[in-house]
Amino acid sequence: MEISVNSATCYKNNVAIFNNINLSLKNGDVALISGANGSGKTTLIKSISGIQNLESGAILLNNIDISHRDSDFVENIIYIGHKNSLNSDMTVHENLVYLMALDSSSKIKDNSRIEKAMNYFDIQKYKDYFVSDLSEGNKKKTSLARLIISDKKIWILDEPLSNLDNFSIEIFIKLIVENQKNNGISILSSHYDISKKISNVKHLEM
Amino acid sequence: MLKIIIQKELSIYFRNLNSIFLPLVLFFLIISIFPLVLGPEKKLLEKIIPGIIWITTILTTLMSSNNFFKDDFNNGIIEIYLTSDASVELVFFFKIIACWIFTCLPIIIFIPLLSILFDIPFNSAFVIFITLFIGTPILISIGIFGSALTIGLSKNNILAPIIILPFYIPVLIFSASAIDSVSIGLSYEMQIYILLAFLVFILPIMPYLLKYTLRFSINN
Repeated sequence: MEISVNSATCYKNNVAIFNNINLSLKNGDVALISGANGSGKTTLIKSISGIQNLESGAILLNNIDISHRDSDFVENIIYIGHKNSLNSDMTVHENLVYLMALDSSSKIKDNSRIEKAMNYFDIQKYKDYFVSDLSEGNKKKTSLARLIISDKKIWILDEPLSNLDNFSIEIFIKLIVENQKNNGISILSSHYDISKKISNVKHLEM
Repeated sequence: MLKIIIQKELSIYFRNLNSIFLPLVLFFLIISIFPLVLGPEKKLLEKIIPGIIWITTILTTLMSSNNFFKDDFNNGIIEIYLTSDASVELVFFFKIIACWIFTCLPIIIFIPLLSILFDIPFNSAFVIFITLFIGTPILISIGIFGSALTIGLSKNNILAPIIILPFYIPVLIFSASAIDSVSIGLSYEMQIYILLAFLVFILPIMPYLLKYTLRFSINN
């Protein structure tokens, strides 16, 4: 697999959010997008995941534009935004079951995946808690648990380390390394410099 | 997948029972205000109460559907829908059905009680029941479309109803016409068939339209 961001430019209300961004990633690569607040990290992440349209340029997966009907982009990506994507009226477990149902790569009846994911991020004890009752850190861990539940290899993550404690950051980094070993591609935006802990990180400063 | 989606949609409504009872209470309050304002004249009420029921139903559906995607938008779940490889159209379809079950169906179920309270003839009550049963899923679908269209706007409380109300008019015209026809002893089947045609047309395409509209709204 290969993801290419070719001369990506995005405008909002006639103001350039980012201009002429180029990035090329193949199996086993990790990209870190960093920059000041408002520099366009989230918009770029959304563009790479196909949520945000570009003004010009293209995002390609295996040389096929991700918006093209022949592209199998959504079959390969898992996107986790900074809003956590959890329903506050549902419990941690219910949220994970629902998110698993929205992911064709996960086996629906495989509840052990969910148990494994909750154990990995140490949120097992919050299994029956409503998301509205969780701390921001535990919400983030619940949303990151999708990475274990899913079989998808391209991870597009917006500020995955925000609100995480040091221990959770360590186990998250282990997960990224694991994905790297499995020939997956990880694209993440963060203020935290993960390049000290993960090898071959492509750094994109916005 | 289907079971999980249905379970999720239903459980959210069950956990927020206010969302069932409050529209119903509002519906009954508005209906009961009319006799207080217009007086208890039976002939007048008999003539206008079907229209009042329909207008009140429209208000209730507008309230229920106006902020339909607000929570999903604020929580970032819309982004999951747009990047999911599962059939999100199916999710939207069951969201429409769940919204209808919990906001419109209770009103429809109470139509026999209303017809007793306002002494509506059986034939008219039956046609009101049928037109609401067919018409409200159309109204809910259009209302949810308005919600999707205005989701990116920070102050969209009034805009969505203004956009979607004109689209309610055909449903209202044929429903009123069916009720009028039965009250003067004419056939009303044609109007019911037309309403059914609207429903059969709108319900299957709405989930696809919602997906497209949400993507458009988020981008703009």
